[in-house]
Amino acid sequence: MTELRIAAVGDVHLGEDVRGQYRARLTGLEGRADVLLLAGDLTRHGTLAEGRLVAEEFRDLPIPVVAVLGNHDYHSDLQYEIMSEMRDHGIIVLDDDAVVITCRGARLGVVGGKGFGGGFAGKCASEFGEREIKGFVSHTRSIADSWQRALKELDTDYKIVLSHYSPVKETLEGEPLEIYPFLGSYLLAEAVDTVGADLIFHGHAHKGSEKGMTPGGIRVRNVALPVLGRAYGLYCLSEHDSC
Amino acid sequence: MEAPQYVAARVQRALAEDDRTSELGIRVDVRGDQLFLRGHVTGEEHRRLMERVAQEAAPELHVHNELQVVQVREPGEDEHLD
Repeated sequence: MTELRIAAVGDVHLGEDVRGQYRARLTGLEGRADVLLLAGDLTRHGTLAEGRLVAEEFRDLPIPVVAVLGNHDYHSDLQYEIMSEMRDHGIIVLDDDAVVITCRGARLGVVGGKGFGGGFAGKCASEFGEREIKGFVSHTRSIADSWQRALKELDTDYKIVLSHYSPVKETLEGEPLEIYPFLGSYLLAEAVDTVGADLIFHGHAHKGSEKGMTPGGIRVRNVALPVLGRAYGLYCLSEHDSC
Repeated sequence: MEAPQYVAARVQRALAEDDRTSELGIRVDVRGDQLFLRGHVTGEEHRRLMERVAQEAAPELHVHNELQVVQVREPGEDEHLD
């Protein structure tokens, strides 16, 4: 099967003061990767001006760009306007759904969305008690259910999940334990493990670590910019070591 | 006198909720009349704004801005996932 080269980064938090600086780092991207994945928190405050800046920074690249939004991008309640602005500039934005892209003959399915929190198995919130707690956990559960359905429907050579929040705690190592429930949820991993995928990307945890895996053995990469320390991470998927 | 933990929490909340910063995950330590900001931000101007918002939230303290601007280096080698 054709190998697939993926560039991925999250948490670029673009603002007017850094306009153009990130884009300058994308020169030559097409020689290194077949697709660029953006794992949310593309803006700082989720304003429309910042959304436009993100769209301009990632528009007209020579390879497809697939993005999800993060919690910062929701901060001004303009997430749908930001998604629309990005889509108008040719960026694929996932919102708990899927896209299929053909890259050098290989069919890649990407399922994704913002994700959400709740914590990890054995140390997590449950849908019990106050309305607010039930709402918190049911939001994650409904997202996980959507991802599971979308993954089941994919019939592609490779399947990748793109999230902002983390599905596992391994890639949160370095973050304070007390905030793990606000950084991700095991429900996301459970949904993906049920159907299967080749790789999961997320961001959100700036002080976390890059590599982890789900209980089902799917590899997870935290591609938050402060974790990577480089413009994007490069990941090569193949059945044989041919990249 | 306000306990240092509450001052630190107030500054952390200001950094998250102030429209100029909206920054989560920054470490705020208060020791005596000194306040330390640690963590990463994505631009120099943002780094300065963080200091300003912290100073406004705790005007009685001396703010030490130890925040670092994230360096966006060239991408390195591919990781092969077979």
